[in-house]
Amino acid sequence: MRRLYGLLVVVSLLSLLAFGGAAAQEEKVLVVGLSEDYNGLDVHRAYEPGGSLIHKAVYDTLVTFPTDSVSEILPNLAESWTISDDGLVYTFTLRDDVVFSNGDPLTAEDVVFSFNRMKNLKDNPAFLADGIASVEAPDERTVVLTLAAPDPAILAKLVFDAFSVVNAEVVRAQGGTDAENASEVDTAELWFNDNSAGTGPYMVDFYEPTVQTVLVRNPNYWGEAPYFDRIIIRNMPEAATQKLALEAGDIHIAMDITADQLPSLEGNPNISVFSTQSDTLIFLLMNQNPEIGGPVSDPKVQLAVRYALDYEGLKLLGGAGTNTPAAMVPLGFAGALDASEALPRDLDKARSLLAEAGYPDGFTVDLRYPDFTYIGTQFSLVAQKVQADLAEVGITVNLVPEELQVSLEAYRGGQHGFGLWLWNPDYYDTLDYVEFLPGGVVGKRANWTDENADATILELRDKVKVETDPEVRNQLFREIQLYEQQSGPFAPLFQPGVHFAYSAALKGFNYNGQWRVDLSLLSF
Amino acid sequence: MSLSAYFLRRLLLAVPLVIGISLVSFIIANLVPSDPMAANLGERAAADPEIVAAFRAKWGLDEPFFVQYFTYLRNLLSGDMGTSIRTRRPVADELLRYMPATVELATAGIIVALIVGVPLGVISAVWRNRPIDFVARIISLIGVSAPVFWLALVALLLLYLRLRILPGPGRLDAVIPPPPTVTGLYTIDALIAGQWRTLGNALAHLILPAVVLGAYSAGLITRITRSAMLDVLSMEYITTARSKGLRERTVILRHGLRNALLPVVTVIGLSYGNLLTGAVLTETIFSWGGIGRFAYDSARSLDFPSIMGVSMLIALVFVLTNLIVDMLYYILDPRIRL
Repeated sequence: MRRLYGLLVVVSLLSLLAFGGAAAQEEKVLVVGLSEDYNGLDVHRAYEPGGSLIHKAVYDTLVTFPTDSVSEILPNLAESWTISDDGLVYTFTLRDDVVFSNGDPLTAEDVVFSFNRMKNLKDNPAFLADGIASVEAPDERTVVLTLAAPDPAILAKLVFDAFSVVNAEVVRAQGGTDAENASEVDTAELWFNDNSAGTGPYMVDFYEPTVQTVLVRNPNYWGEAPYFDRIIIRNMPEAATQKLALEAGDIHIAMDITADQLPSLEGNPNISVFSTQSDTLIFLLMNQNPEIGGPVSDPKVQLAVRYALDYEGLKLLGGAGTNTPAAMVPLGFAGALDASEALPRDLDKARSLLAEAGYPDGFTVDLRYPDFTYIGTQFSLVAQKVQADLAEVGITVNLVPEELQVSLEAYRGGQHGFGLWLWNPDYYDTLDYVEFLPGGVVGKRANWTDENADATILELRDKVKVETDPEVRNQLFREIQLYEQQSGPFAPLFQPGVHFAYSAALKGFNYNGQWRVDLSLLSF
Repeated sequence: MSLSAYFLRRLLLAVPLVIGISLVSFIIANLVPSDPMAANLGERAAADPEIVAAFRAKWGLDEPFFVQYFTYLRNLLSGDMGTSIRTRRPVADELLRYMPATVELATAGIIVALIVGVPLGVISAVWRNRPIDFVARIISLIGVSAPVFWLALVALLLLYLRLRILPGPGRLDAVIPPPPTVTGLYTIDALIAGQWRTLGNALAHLILPAVVLGAYSAGLITRITRSAMLDVLSMEYITTARSKGLRERTVILRHGLRNALLPVVTVIGLSYGNLLTGAVLTETIFSWGGIGRFAYDSARSLDFPSIMGVSMLIALVFVLTNLIVDMLYYILDPRIRL
């Protein structure tokens, strides 16, 4: 036994020596702590926000956003573009100085291959390409994108990382294909986990699932060379661990900080904190189908619920940075109503609306929701708050927490009568919120269809879907949101805050909703 | 019966056991009132009937339950554990990728538990009801009852962040690349490759999670050792040994501990099985990419092939640890051979 103890002491001493004596690295390394939400790095299957962080550093898209907002479309691989008068044909001219990480020049063929592969893989992001009728390359530097119907959001969609351009020749050699049956015959998916074929400032070195993703500088990068030689994205599923590792200096950015961790970070001079409202919209769904929704399918009851909610109190549940949108378009999107235009809490009005609807003494209803925590927002707490708020106007809410997957299935199937849910934008254009209108993805979940919706909203919806003039669009979105405040099966609750903490020595930290942080612009 | 025949018979018995477990896991996984489609397809893809149909066909989810099961079993017998729905990699590869991290952690954990538990148990039995016994019992109580989550965070806060004597989460520092894979255990692989710095770093990274993971087993082993020692020390042969004038040290270790070890071995075996399969919290907090975390992620996305793979692996782990415990019994206690 004594020998064993001796061994332990020696081993610990050895290990302390090794730990303490970490040699100074000449290589400039950035270490990011991230709760890994992706299972692979095939960019044409990209869907998760964590993956965007990596794809942004490795690949480029035809057009892009500014580094700190999603407010305008900027050139990227395409130096310019024209749009036909009917809004159907987009002609892009590519830059002539772009090369892939292996030195091959970028051609229009690569763009055609990439877009078609993404569409034909029929994976999670493929819906973004639904409106694309064809992509052609009349010459080496020209890409012609033809739409089936005008889509005012197409340029914003093209910024999404799944539209990244890869080196067609390299990916083909690995079994990749853009053929129509790509979903069955493409075999390049796993190759992307330890390789890349992009034009971005970094290349994928290797991906060790659930452990780390390592990027190295692209020696052939056509733009300005990034500061860091190597970027290591370490999977740290637990926010508390990320915070500890940041405080200890082992990571430089913690991507999943929660609101309750902020106070203890504030006094630390070595750490900077960035908080903003997220683009996640948390809302109540009230089913339009009386058989499923019961009393909450009544438009007067729906309005009463919107008046009965204590928005100021709900906001506290999302933590710092939380805001309340005025309707179903989150703050930050073009055309969103100002927060000051939100419906106020008015209990008398809510009570009289309930009386008008035939429920002077209220009613009892089940509130179904996924029992989980999303970016720091605990759904069970939000549900309790809704329960308490509605109790004040006589509505008795029974809380029905459900396991996420089970709940999700019922919600997607339109089976939730009264539900508490969230929506993240698929792409950064206000048009994504047409999904909350009749016949939209979320609208259908509330059984709000062309048949049971009134003509006003259907007409607004159809107009906004094809309108390209920004002024007119904003006006249409405004009318839609004012309509949503008065009728319709949803009540907006809040947009929770989103928080990042990083080493105060790090320069160039900027956030936008699409890729969150452009790692290639960071330096010490 | 000879040892090898005994071993072989036990191993053969494991086959029907594992098949039975596969059936039960398959039934349970299928009984969950949820759909892998919802868990693995994005919002929009799940709304597209064509994509949903293709998904079901690809993963065989459109087949009746028993057809799915027998397909699985047939593939399994030919050595194919299927492909993970979530990661799209072969399940066997995934298990091989994640198991070594967990084996390394659990082994370190059980070593910690042994180094702490057995001496503490012996000490507290020998000096029964003295202050040192009291202290040992408090330690074992804390070990058994402190939540892993709490213990892990406190340990990290104190030893990693404040005192800076141990490294933080992960199996290695970010700047140290993993050693070339032979066994997948970083310590062993670093040793094989002769990378001493990597070895030191891997060992240092092991200490905190191993202590946290081993704490419960340490407490348990302390208690079992203490009570087993107390039983043994009251036996007549101990009195005999003492009256022969043997040194107290010899009496306690050679005559006492050796006989008290039998129940302890059982607990160690079971604990090791538990550590190998139940480390999900420790793995999460310490960002340790092991099988526990893989099982958790697979379960959350209803990744049937992975869930099945993990279940079979866990079954095998318990069959094997039990087998090893029985073999140790065989060696430790000659009476069993009769």
